[in-house]
Amino acid sequence: MTTTIGRVRPDTQPTARLRTDILGTLASEFVKIRSVRATYWTLIILIVASIGSGATYCAVEAHQWPHLTPQDHANFDPTQASVLGVALLGQFVIAVLGAQTITAEYSTGMMRTSLTVMPRRTVLYGAKAAVLAAVTLIVALSTSFASFVLGQALLAGRHAGATLSQPHVLRSVIVTAGYVAVCGVAAFGLGAILRHTAAAVAAVFVLFELIQRLAEALPHNLYTSMEKWLPGGATVGAITATTPDSQNPQLFSAWGELAVLGAYAVILVVVGAVLFRRRDA
Amino acid sequence: MIEARGLTKRYGATAAVDDLSFTIRPGMVTGFLGPNGAGKTTTMRMILGLDYPTAGMVTVNGKPYAKLASPMREVGALLDARAVHGGRSARNHLLCLARTNHISRRRVDAVLDLVGLANVAGKRSRGFSLGMSQRLGIAAALLGDPEILIFDEPVNGLDPEGIVWIRTLMRSLAAEGRTVFVSSHLISEMENTADHLIVVGRGRLLADSGMAEFIAGSSGQVVLARTPQPDALGRALNAAGATTSTGEPGIVQVRGLTEDVVADIAFANGIRLNHLAPARVSLEQAFMELTADSVDYHGQSPVDTQPAHNGSEA
Ligand SMILES: Nc1ncnc2c1ncn2[C@@H]1O[C@H](COP(=O)(O)OP(=O)(O)O)[C@@H](O)[C@H]1O
Ligand SMILES: [Mg+2]
Repeated sequence: MTTTIGRVRPDTQPTARLRTDILGTLASEFVKIRSVRATYWTLIILIVASIGSGATYCAVEAHQWPHLTPQDHANFDPTQASVLGVALLGQFVIAVLGAQTITAEYSTGMMRTSLTVMPRRTVLYGAKAAVLAAVTLIVALSTSFASFVLGQALLAGRHAGATLSQPHVLRSVIVTAGYVAVCGVAAFGLGAILRHTAAAVAAVFVLFELIQRLAEALPHNLYTSMEKWLPGGATVGAITATTPDSQNPQLFSAWGELAVLGAYAVILVVVGAVLFRRRDA
Repeated sequence: MIEARGLTKRYGATAAVDDLSFTIRPGMVTGFLGPNGAGKTTTMRMILGLDYPTAGMVTVNGKPYAKLASPMREVGALLDARAVHGGRSARNHLLCLARTNHISRRRVDAVLDLVGLANVAGKRSRGFSLGMSQRLGIAAALLGDPEILIFDEPVNGLDPEGIVWIRTLMRSLAAEGRTVFVSSHLISEMENTADHLIVVGRGRLLADSGMAEFIAGSSGQVVLARTPQPDALGRALNAAGATTSTGEPGIVQVRGLTEDVVADIAFANGIRLNHLAPARVSLEQAFMELTADSVDYHGQSPVDTQPAHNGSEA
């Protein structure tokens, strides 16, 4: 029976063992994410919805182009028009995938099996987050670029399209994808904290939409000065744009706003990790 | 080798596991027996590092479970056969487990063969029957060819064929020198499987002994006497200090006296005996007596319906 098990001997040195654990668990989590249909459905919805909405937006703009004022023409950001949908729709679609990466293991009971074969909890948690982040980033980047290319093709007839060599265009396409991946990771953290898919997705909505909507009720000056620190919502404009935000110049640049969101995601993932280590499985 | 010392788990005010100490040795099947809610699953979860003890400790091969270098090569566990992601195929389920411990794909196929799931390896486990899920769980436990195997109520809900298969498997695993720790709430499941018994009730240790000693030490000899005068015989024997109960009409069960003494007492009181014979205490009865005070929910069972008397019939 022993002959077919595999050659790797358990490492005795702590650092070597950690490396062995991490590599094995990353491979395991990759098998997990690629072996359930939910992953593919979620990613297909992400791709179709994002590219579809970008294309629709650009097609409508192209259609109306002759009827718009020169002022409108100058303000039009063709890059943002093509990738805004990736961020706006992608964030919620990816939130489902991110949360499910961990909550589905609780709802099925699989978490107990996973922890039995890999009792180093931080390794298991980290490998889950890393594989999720890598998969979502690759898919989001592909989607973002595809949306950009299709959108610009639709605008090309009006000579209103952008190219990647123009200032901040590449940044916008990349940061948009980064935003989607970070949303997925934030949802993962919330999933670890709440251990329930629907609760985690609802929490993402509260965090990314509701807080911002409520903050809008604050005095205008206060709101404009704090908006840059709010996740989701209005900052999506700054993240997808190639120009500074016209309505609120106080917002950080695209990378800055991505970093703010990243900080929220890190806090959620760390809180999730602490609870994951401490609680009974 | 699994060692628990003062192992305790509290949920609020109630202790699910209460100061348990035991050692589980290799080369035999150790039955972990107790009524529902006795704390068996909780104990197993603590062994595997899934739940943290409130007090005390438990080690596997001398270490806390989480410190085992390659856990799957040391311990294989099946706690809940349905605890798998139903959307994953049997093979992918095993593969994702195997990867964590660097166990080869060939080994995955080998255990699928071993448990008889090779022909459904590509099917999603959502559609599996309980018996198939149980086999998948056992395949997962065997992946790393571990020395220690832990099974929580493995035959629950299985058909007779599945029960025999699991019993045979456990016996052969122990015969290979492995440590097999298996729980059940029915002693009948242990009768032909376990070499050693750890009995718990309400989280506390009630017995830790070999199977043979458990039966022998439980309640001593029982003598069955058939008589046309059961009431009179019961009174006479009670007067001599014995415990009696009536089962079938005309049969008196006697404890605490040998059949010679029972015959003498009957003769002295002029009571006719048609039949007199010693009886082996069933394992069932021994278990019931031991756990009688620690059962949370009493149901109807053949033993419960026989009222015990210690005095004359009403
Ligand atoms: N997570 C939990 N929270 C509260 N009580 C629990 C929990 N898990 C188990 N219990 C309680 O602990 C006791 C022991 O349960 P368990 O270990 O499942 O018993 P067994 O496996 O012997 O049937 C039961 O009374 C059960 O209700
Ligand atoms: Mg149980």
